[in-house]
Amino acid sequence: MWETIIVNPFTNVLLLIYKLIGGNFGIAIILFTILIRLVTHPLMASQIKSSAKMTEFQQSKQWQDIQKKHKGDKEKLAQEQMKLYKELGISPFASCLPSLVQIPLIFGLYQSIMRALAATPSQLLILTRTVYPFFHLSDLVPLNSQFLWMNLGQPERVYMFGVGVPLLAIVVAITTYVQSKVTMPASPNPNDQGAMMNKMMALYMPLLLGYFALTFASGLSIYFITGNLIGIAQYALLGKVNWRALIPGYKPGTIPPARNK
Amino acid sequence: MKKKYLILIGSLLALAVVLGGCATGLTASSWPGITADAEYAYIAGGPHVYAVNLQTGVEVWRFPAKAATATPFFATPKITPDGQLIVGSFDHKLYSLNPQTGTENWRFELAKDRWIAGVLVSEDTIYAANADYSLYAVTFAGKSKWAAPFKADQAIWGSPVTDGTNVYFGTLGRKVYAVNVQTGKQTWAQSVDGAILGSPVVGPKNTLYVGTYGGALITLNALNGEILHQVSTSSWIWSGPTQDGTNLYVGDAGGKFYAIPLTEGGQAWTKDLNGTIIGSPIVNNSTIIVGTESGNIYFMDNTGENMRPVAVPGIINATPCLAGELVLVAPTNGDNLLVALDQSGSIKWSFTPAK
Repeated sequence: MWETIIVNPFTNVLLLIYKLIGGNFGIAIILFTILIRLVTHPLMASQIKSSAKMTEFQQSKQWQDIQKKHKGDKEKLAQEQMKLYKELGISPFASCLPSLVQIPLIFGLYQSIMRALAATPSQLLILTRTVYPFFHLSDLVPLNSQFLWMNLGQPERVYMFGVGVPLLAIVVAITTYVQSKVTMPASPNPNDQGAMMNKMMALYMPLLLGYFALTFASGLSIYFITGNLIGIAQYALLGKVNWRALIPGYKPGTIPPARNK
Repeated sequence: MKKKYLILIGSLLALAVVLGGCATGLTASSWPGITADAEYAYIAGGPHVYAVNLQTGVEVWRFPAKAATATPFFATPKITPDGQLIVGSFDHKLYSLNPQTGTENWRFELAKDRWIAGVLVSEDTIYAANADYSLYAVTFAGKSKWAAPFKADQAIWGSPVTDGTNVYFGTLGRKVYAVNVQTGKQTWAQSVDGAILGSPVVGPKNTLYVGTYGGALITLNALNGEILHQVSTSSWIWSGPTQDGTNLYVGDAGGKFYAIPLTEGGQAWTKDLNGTIIGSPIVNNSTIIVGTESGNIYFMDNTGENMRPVAVPGIINATPCLAGELVLVAPTNGDNLLVALDQSGSIKWSFTPAK
């Protein structure tokens, strides 16, 4: 099921792009990432809107009054919160869902990259059985796994004075951090749970994706970096990028909120 | 609010675990390689190389003693005339082991990629082809023989062969190479229609045969690489052909098995077997033995007659191996790592490594 729905189509699309652009697997991954982002753009737009609504909700007087009123009764507070969500048309999971959708995509892409590069006999055998009949795989094998200085099927290192520096992993961590910071919804309330969680995510996500980039095939890092840059671009297009969040000491609410489109 | 972020963080951690497991699984992905001497069968079967007593089917030793996920062995081991067992690993190292005890003599560490092909052993040299596009000539002491390894255009997955003058091998880059055994310099290189995943075969009258992933069996002039003729097969060819002095035998992914006269070309006979043929056939006197992915080992006369399939649990991708009167088979995805059949096809013993 997983193979039929995710891995096989991903692998074939990757190979198709690879073939169309004349055999550059790195560019194929970048184009494929853009394609995935285009397809999931409606989800992303909905996530951005939901996050904005949620921030608005957290800061609303109505919600703060309810919190004060039911301070000692967690159950009642939760009931009132759900009621208010319903009234205002907020889905508590709407801002989280697009991120969850990314997870099978990352997993599927990783498997597709490794499968397409077919670095071992079993992988080539599986690839042979994965490609759709219109491909003449023998014309494509072996795939060119070199992109810039990288072997896309191996974790990347740049050797400087005999030391292997994981340049791509560092770039993945930085771009993930930048994306998290500039797209984080501004909340002037220091007790805002959502804002605290966002801060946590802004810290953990770069570390986690940086670890993936350090450990796994560099093709996956290309996906992460491209995805991060496109993510920032998508937020920018919707007018939700806050570059000032990158300034050290920046406090939300000290600058005008980003324009809404 | 807390709950949804916990779900997200949990999912990301799950992804880390899944990707980690996936990466480990992918690096150890091939099928076993087998060889044998008078006493033992040697099988490169994943985390270990095992020596198994041919009489009893009992494990004698395993190398390394403790499994390391980064050191899987799949390349067919080979024995040198001075009694060393040479086997390459996916950890980029080529090991020399004592066949009696499994202790390490030396390791050759110059390669930069996986050892997928088994080595070629001559009277005094080990010719070892690596996925790092290189052919290495190694002395029996584990030192480089040539000034530099021979660099090909692409990864080499099939064992090289020699006629004493040149070493011949094919690459995934659709090229066949002849390299001088003494100098390590290229004698010739020839492009063919598909990647070469298996070994070439040296034939009579300066001929060389290769099977391709493009679905062809090609005859080349071993002196200059000129393509003499080409036979199209029904599907791709994985492992190389085998010859018995009269015919060349090869199977393809479509399950078609071919016997092609060495001298005249054309086809002596063909057989439709049940399942994809990945491993090379082997010849035992006038009997041809070949395995298929459907889990059958086929015994047949060299005329294509008297074909009898023997079912072995699992997928047969590895080339079988002759050990005296025994036929050794290494099934993948079966209960056993090694199965010994007698000439009638009856199972004499099977070997499953203890955990």
